[in-house]
Amino acid sequence: MILPMIRARLLGPREDLDDVLAEVQDIGLLQLTEPRLSGVLRPIDLQPSEAREARRLRGLLRDVDALASKVDVVSTSAKASRSPSFASWLRQFRRARRDLDRIETKRRLLEEERTETARLLEFIRAFRGLLPASSGTRTHGYHLVLRGQDAGIVDRLREGLAKAIGDEFVLETAPLSTGELAAVLLVPPADAPRVERLLAQAGVHELPMPEGSEGRTLGQLGPTLATRRDALDAELKALDTDRRARSLDLAPQLSGARAAVEDRLLGLAARENVAATPRSFVVEGWIPEAGFGRLSEVIGRRFDGRVVVESVAREDWEGESAPVVLQNPRLFRPFETITRMVPLPAYGTIDPTPFVAVFFPMFFGLILGDVGYGLVLAIIALWLRHGGAPGSTRRAVAEVLGAGAAFSVAFGIAFGEFFGDLGARWFGMRPVLLDREHSLLAFLGLAIAIGAVHIVLGLALGVYNASRGHPRQAVGKGTSLVMVLLIVVVLLAAIEVLPHGFLTPAVIGLLVLFPVLVLAEGIIAPIEFLSTLSNILSYARIMALGTASVMMAVVANELAGSVGSVLVGVLFALLFHLVNFALGIFAPTIHGLRLHYVEFFGKFHSPGGQAYRPFSHWRPSGNAG
Amino acid sequence: MEAFLIPLSAALAVSIPALATGWAQSRIGPAISASLAEKPELSTTAILLVAIPETMAILGFVVAVLIMLRAGG
Repeated sequence: MILPMIRARLLGPREDLDDVLAEVQDIGLLQLTEPRLSGVLRPIDLQPSEAREARRLRGLLRDVDALASKVDVVSTSAKASRSPSFASWLRQFRRARRDLDRIETKRRLLEEERTETARLLEFIRAFRGLLPASSGTRTHGYHLVLRGQDAGIVDRLREGLAKAIGDEFVLETAPLSTGELAAVLLVPPADAPRVERLLAQAGVHELPMPEGSEGRTLGQLGPTLATRRDALDAELKALDTDRRARSLDLAPQLSGARAAVEDRLLGLAARENVAATPRSFVVEGWIPEAGFGRLSEVIGRRFDGRVVVESVAREDWEGESAPVVLQNPRLFRPFETITRMVPLPAYGTIDPTPFVAVFFPMFFGLILGDVGYGLVLAIIALWLRHGGAPGSTRRAVAEVLGAGAAFSVAFGIAFGEFFGDLGARWFGMRPVLLDREHSLLAFLGLAIAIGAVHIVLGLALGVYNASRGHPRQAVGKGTSLVMVLLIVVVLLAAIEVLPHGFLTPAVIGLLVLFPVLVLAEGIIAPIEFLSTLSNILSYARIMALGTASVMMAVVANELAGSVGSVLVGVLFALLFHLVNFALGIFAPTIHGLRLHYVEFFGKFHSPGGQAYRPFSHWRPSGNAG
Repeated sequence: MEAFLIPLSAALAVSIPALATGWAQSRIGPAISASLAEKPELSTTAILLVAIPETMAILGFVVAVLIMLRAGG
């Protein structure tokens, strides 16, 4: 249902305004509205100091965001700090950001050094056998890194060296884990200048050696580099520990500061909804009827009667749209997710959630209608529900699926289906209501009958909605409703479910009501009436999808026996059942939603409701407008 | 002759609306995809809009079943 709302008005002396707004924010029930200005009432403009404060707070919020992106710990607390000190936060957070930036830079440099050290160590490992030879004084050694993707580079290098200095050189290579090639080149010292020119022309570079390693061979460098690598690891670990400790310390402060800043900004924004004279103020807003008493009591007690809380007479706000709060019993509440996927119903109209809660899982069950599939779906729904926080969309979806699963099991028993005809084969399961596999016409009749009930209900709700302000529309919808019922009577009498005597009066009734319909709803009415009839026929999809579902399951079972190998047959059948199950969740959801949004809601739903956003303390979801 | 015409009628009853559904969805799909690129919150509407032409195929299937049942097939 849609909660009844009251338009509340608070009047008091101007000097109490800030305290009253703070109290209203603490109560968190009043959605402030634009003030109605008249006579001496004027809007309150922000003082220059308040405008400056708002700018500073927005700057602080940017700092908090920037710092939060560097802190790798998330605090779930959204409680505003008790004694906010915005200026000290600004200083503290900027200092913390500088410290974290410094840690980040240092970490990056150490990471780079560690990568290079590890690369050198790998190079040394690759040439462990060759290194002593490279340290002699009769030869000049080069340590090269070649791109491994170029398969012919080593051959080309050999050819170039042979041309330049003859056969007086040694070139050994070994693959590195990076995909490159490590190469050691030994040449006579006299040929070194020519070799260096050749290497430069070929774009081959020597391995950069660490500072202070001049005059030492790679073999001698190995232990030093390994020690340095271990030192770097320790330093990196220490930096990470430091950063983690700072993050743990900062995260709650950041979330507390954010909540306090957002609260203060909301408080400043609330002043835009205040009208005032030089000595007094007026605040108006929407509050659920049940919360009005609490607002009056708390404000009355806190301000000793200096501030008056009154409700504005309904006649004074008749034309205005109050915000909409949906409130349904626990069992129906998950289905509000489906109602909220379309625009909210306007205030004063009907909340369709209870009807959705009954019919949506029923359609789902009629289409899936299988004990086996229903049980599997129930397990999935339980798993989804287990991982979802209370009130989350995940939990609501799980509960909607759970209801669909329950109806699927119930209709599965009614149709005698357990993974298609497996129940009949294994346990001798028999249909209680009808056999979907063979009684197609009966199933079609059932689907269309349910459609007729659903549409008639929609029209009845439409009559109720229209009767509050649109009497002509109410007459039109009521006439359509009676005509649909008369057509049902005509059809039942024609196929002799009802006595034949009902036929003539029902047809006469239709002929009499037709001009009434045209008079009430205009010349377009006959077309709309036809569309109502086609809406009822649209429910035939329940039969079509249900039949397809059971046929697929039966085919899957037959596949198991028709393939030569039992194992292959069972695997094939399982795969087919899996596909059918996936379709069995998707199709009833989509078509159940469609039958509600297009066929059912179209008869009565009046969109245009505004969501209720009370003035309260900031919450991370940002819904505390 | 009837043995040929009845299944043919049933096949046409389901195939022609199915082709029409496919054509309609091929026009709706790109249009709604373009809308989704700008307004992702329309995803529910998108699914529904794509599902709306399926009515034709489903009713075609129902008619085909009726043809086969009435003809005793």
